[in-house]
This record gives sequence, C-alpha cells and structure tokens, in this order.
Amino acid sequence: MSFRKIDIDAFDEDVLQETELYEPDPRDPAQVLADARQKQATVRSALSRGDISSALNTALDSPPYGPNVDEAKNLTLQTVVSVLNSTKGTEIPNVLKSLSQDAQDTLMKYIYKGMGMPGWGDVSGSVLLAWHEKLTEVAGTGCIVRVMSDRRTV
Amino acid sequence: MSNSLRPYLSAVRSTLTAALTLQNFSSQVVERHNKPEVEARGSKEVLLNSLTISRNESERVLIEPSINSIRMSIKIKQADEIENILCHKFTRFMMQRAESFIVLRRKPVAGYDISFLITNVHTETMLKHKIVDFIIQFMEEVDKEISEMKLTLNARARTVAESYLMAFDS
Amino acid sequence: MAAPQVFSIAQAPITCHAFNGDRSHLALSLNDTKVDVYTKQGKGWQITDTLSEHDRTITSIDWAPITNRIVTASQDRNAYVWSQSLDPDTGRMVWKPTLVLLRINRAATFVRWSPNEDKFAVASGARTIAICSFDPENNWWVARHLKKPIRSTVLSVDWHPNNVLLAAGSADTKARVFSAYIKDVDKRPAPTVWGEKLPFNTVCGEYASPAGGWVHAVGFSPSGDTLAFASHDSSITIVYPGGPTIHTIRLQSLPFVTLTWTAEDTLVAAGYDCNPVVYSGGLDGWSLAGTLDDTVGATKTGGTRTGTVGRLNTAAFNAFRNADTRGHTSETVTDTELHTIHQNTITSVRPYEKGADGTVARVSTSGVDGKLVIWNVSAVSAGGLTGRLGAI
Repeated sequence: MSFRKIDIDAFDEDVLQETELYEPDPRDPAQVLADARQKQATVRSALSRGDISSALNTALDSPPYGPNVDEAKNLTLQTVVSVLNSTKGTEIPNVLKSLSQDAQDTLMKYIYKGMGMPGWGDVSGSVLLAWHEKLTEVAGTGCIVRVMSDRRTV
Repeated sequence: MSNSLRPYLSAVRSTLTAALTLQNFSSQVVERHNKPEVEARGSKEVLLNSLTISRNESERVLIEPSINSIRMSIKIKQADEIENILCHKFTRFMMQRAESFIVLRRKPVAGYDISFLITNVHTETMLKHKIVDFIIQFMEEVDKEISEMKLTLNARARTVAESYLMAFDS
Repeated sequence: MAAPQVFSIAQAPITCHAFNGDRSHLALSLNDTKVDVYTKQGKGWQITDTLSEHDRTITSIDWAPITNRIVTASQDRNAYVWSQSLDPDTGRMVWKPTLVLLRINRAATFVRWSPNEDKFAVASGARTIAICSFDPENNWWVARHLKKPIRSTVLSVDWHPNNVLLAAGSADTKARVFSAYIKDVDKRPAPTVWGEKLPFNTVCGEYASPAGGWVHAVGFSPSGDTLAFASHDSSITIVYPGGPTIHTIRLQSLPFVTLTWTAEDTLVAAGYDCNPVVYSGGLDGWSLAGTLDDTVGATKTGGTRTGTVGRLNTAAFNAFRNADTRGHTSETVTDTELHTIHQNTITSVRPYEKGADGTVARVSTSGVDGKLVIWNVSAVSAGGLTGRLGAI
C-alpha cells in the first residue's frame, strides 16, 4: 500500500472514536437476543388481543443498540413492523399519544431503519410513511433531530 | 397524483427541515480550513446518522447530515429502460451545469441518481424554508418531467414509424 | 407588555453581537472578517468604527462593560483585545488592538470575559480552551490551556460568577465545568457547590444529554449554582450538582444554539426555530413557560395551519397539497414568510438590561437574517406557543 494513501489523522491519539460517543449497552449480546425473542412473543399475544398500545410499548422498550447485536436488532425491527402493519390508520394518533417521549424517539428510529431497507420482510413504504407523518405531527421535528444525533442506533 | 406521494414528500420535507440545522464550523483536522464535513469526513463526532426515506424500492432519498453541511441524494423512479435513459440524460444535463443550481453536487452518491450538497453558506445566504421548498419542488417536477419526456418520445416514435411505413402503404 | 424592538441591521447574517456597559454602543460582525461598532442615534444605530485586524470570519465578540474593552475571536486562530484611546492627530477616540498569545492551532470559536474582566476564555477547535490573563511586563495577553479531557471543538463557554469556574460545551456531546483558577490573578475562591479545592484544570463535572448531540450553548444561573446547556438533540438540560439532579427537556421543535439565564428560575433559549423561548422551574422540575415572539397571534389565519408538517407551511407545499387533496393546481403564490420576527436562525441571545430586582428584564437576539431584536422577558406568551405547537 502506498504510504501516501494512509490516513494519518486516524492515528492521532486524541481523535474521537465512534464507540466513545455513547454509553455501551450494559447487557450481554445473548441476553439482548433472548430479551428480543421474549418481547416478540409478548407483542404477539398483545396483538392477538387487539391491544396495540401495549404491544407497541413492549416492542419499543429498551431497544438493542451498539455492535454485535444485529440479530436482536432485526428481530426487534420485525416486531415493531408487525405492530405498525396491523394498526388501522384511524387508530394511529391515539396510539402515538399513549407513548412516552422515549418510546416516540425509538419508534422514529425504527421507522427510519425500516425505510432504509425497503422490501425487507414485511416492510411497506406506505405504512411507514403514514406513521412517520403522524408521529411528526405528535412529536415534532425535534424527534427527527434526535434520531440523527443519537449514536445509539437501533 | 398517487396517494403515497404526499406522505413521501412530507416525510422528506420534515427530515430536511430537521437536517438543515447547520452552523459555521471550521475544520479541526486541517489548520485554517473550512470545508463541508459531510464530504471531508475528517472527524466522526461532527457527522450525524444518515437517514433514508423510501416510498418503495425504486424511489428513495438519502439524507446525510453533519455539523456544517448535508448531502441529500435522490433515487428517481425508473420503471423501464426508456425512463432509465431519460433519467440518466436529464440528471447528467443538470449536473454538468451544477454551479448554476448552487446546491447541486457534481456527482451523485453511489446508488442514487442525483445529489445535493447544502452547506452552512447556503443556509446563511438563502432562506432555509426556501431551500427546502426548492428541493421538494424539484422532486415533484422531475417525475413529471420524465414522464412527459417519455410521452413525447413515444408520440414522436409513433409519428416516425407511421410516416416511414407510409412508403409501403400502396 | 411592550412589543419587541426590531432593528434590521443588514442583509447579511449577524454572527455575534455585544453591547457596551450602558448599551449606547453595539459591536457586531456580519459574517465576515470585520467587527462593526455602532452608536445609538435616536431610534436607530449608526456605524461609527470598524475593527479590521482578523483575516478570517469573526466567530465571537464580547464587550467588557466596566473596563470598556472588546475582545474578538476569529477562525484565523487569533483573538484581539481592543481598547479605546485618544488619537493625538485627530483628537478622537480610536480602537487599538492588543495581541493575545493564544497558542492554538485551530479556529477560535467563542470568547467571553470573566465577571471581574481581568481574564477571558477563548474556546477553540484545537480541543482546548485558552484562559488569557494580562502580562503587564510585555504588554500582551498570555494564555494557559484547559486541555483534558476535551475531545473535540469547544462550541461555547460561560463563566461562573466567582470568576474561577468555567463551563464549556463541546462537539464531543459533553458539557463540562472546569476550574480556570490563575494564581496571579485570582484570590483563593470560596467553596461552591461545584467543589472546594480548585487548582487549574480541575474537572468539576461532566454532563451529557441522553440522546447525545453537540452542546451548542452552556450557561450558569446568576448564582452559579445551576448549569444549563442546550444540545443538538433538540433538548435543554438543567444540572443541579448537589444530587446531582439533572432535568432534560426534549423539544418538539428544532435545536437551540444559544441560551441565557434571566433569573435564578428562568432562562431564555433560541436557535434554529427562530423564536426565543422561555423556560422556568427549579430543583423539582423545569417546564416551558412560553415564547417571547407573539406576533403569530396577529398574523395567524385561523385553522388553516393544522395537519401540516413543521411551521414551514409554504406556498409550494400548499399548492401541492391542494393538488393532492382537491385535485386542482392553483397558480396563486402566497406569502412565504415565517410567522416569527426572526426569519432565520437566531445565533445569539444575550442579557440586555437588568431590572430593579437584579433579574434580567430585557434580552437581545441577533440572527442569520441580519436582524437585531430586543425583547421584554416579562412578555412571555403561552397562548402564542400553544397555537404554534399545535401547528408543528
């Protein structure tokens, strides 16, 4: 490799690394995955009862973030998307209002993650866009800013 | 106009509004330089998570924010090969004249058809909501433009074919 | 309830502004390499002096009210202290620069005089804060550096009223409280809630907002016992170091870039959302009190603003929405002004005038739209805000 192409700034010891910008998840990756599985089951049973609010709250509770938990991340995305897909358009505003600010921010993260991978699983652009619009009405643009600035990506 | 276009554009609008929170920021890597961090990628902490807004697999927008600049890339709908060619010609025409569009980038980001680079200088000299309006208007017009061109192309092809075949019509 | 005073200074962005002690003069920079000094004449401002020594964009200005000195910082890595002296040739007062040995190798981003005006802090992109004090032997200002543990560009600083502690907000998503104690200048400070023994570069606290984001603005409350900072995740955080008790308020709107305390229980913040917002509270919790910008009530057009995204309910968007929902395209172009006094990002908010009870009665803001506005802090309107939040 040509020495001219080496990025010497990366070797500056003061340089800030991606991992130093957020607190790591204290949970073990295996534990995170088990949590995600368990949440999926809880959400399924809540959905079969037709209780959308609690299903969504469960799905958005303590989301997996950071490296090495890709499987749990995908599983949680699947769970969230399944809730979003089974909600009627007219119910969306009420469901959103029942969420805490944390959950709203997390939901926005999953909406963007879902839109980032169209055609994956049951992800449907128009459903996510409808949720995005309603969520922006409830939580404001600040919610989108937080998705951009939060390094704890889901 | 199709039903999912409106939420798509309003999602782009709100995301763009949120991303266009730029400030003057001089490089912390190179002395006395001031360059768009989203392009320089010198320091990780001043780059934010990039967001994608997609309507379906063939239409999506990528927004990459940073402290003093954002890069926004659009993938334009291309249903068939004619649209493919038209879209390529159209974006190429614009990007060769990028300086007259001010916020246009000369080369699209890989996987997208056209990219915009908006820096803090643009948000200082122009009204932010006007920039957002411009981009949204561009997204509306470009689909229309391409389908119109496709119609004219087909109409022209038909006339040409008709007058050519006229010679054999005896 | 007096209406805010609006001065349209220029068509260019005002990057920073500072008033002198009796508010008869004003220094500001129009996003270039010069500092313009304005003098109040009648109802307007007249430019009287131009300070040009920097060769890059000016980033920050501060005017010491008692000693009447201006300090300027710029992206050319320099800072200058300007003092007024009599020019023997012309017989008028002129501003003369004094060199500051900053010893930083990146842009200077922010500067503030300490409360006693015997030193000042310069934040920089070199991951340092330079604390400058005057060296009479050589007739220049020398700097000592606060370096650890800053990991990125420092975006703002604020002095504690005891002249020793300094708060700094930086792009590594942290707000920190440092000791900037300089032996030759300062007397030994009395213990505060932030700590007792305070040698130079002691880190008294390090705070971050849960969702991260660059810390755009920091501020100590008038007593110095509370710290507030605004970060780029659209939140404002108030820290009581005792517990520590930390309150984070998430905004619905865009992030704040600047804030100032007006009393022990209220602060004004402003930023990308173009209107100054007032928060109030105490140890038990903080909440939104309202906005200072009430022009919306007069110009608002009833219920047409519901259901739109953001406050940027503009012509192109309306035309498009009409086309979408009603199936017709109208060519009418309506006004696209924002419903706020500032038409673009507010870059700085500073205390302007103190009231009889010692609290700040009026604040001044300057924005990217070239406007300088003086607001009455007591004129908080909650009504304008709810209408506005409903429209977001």
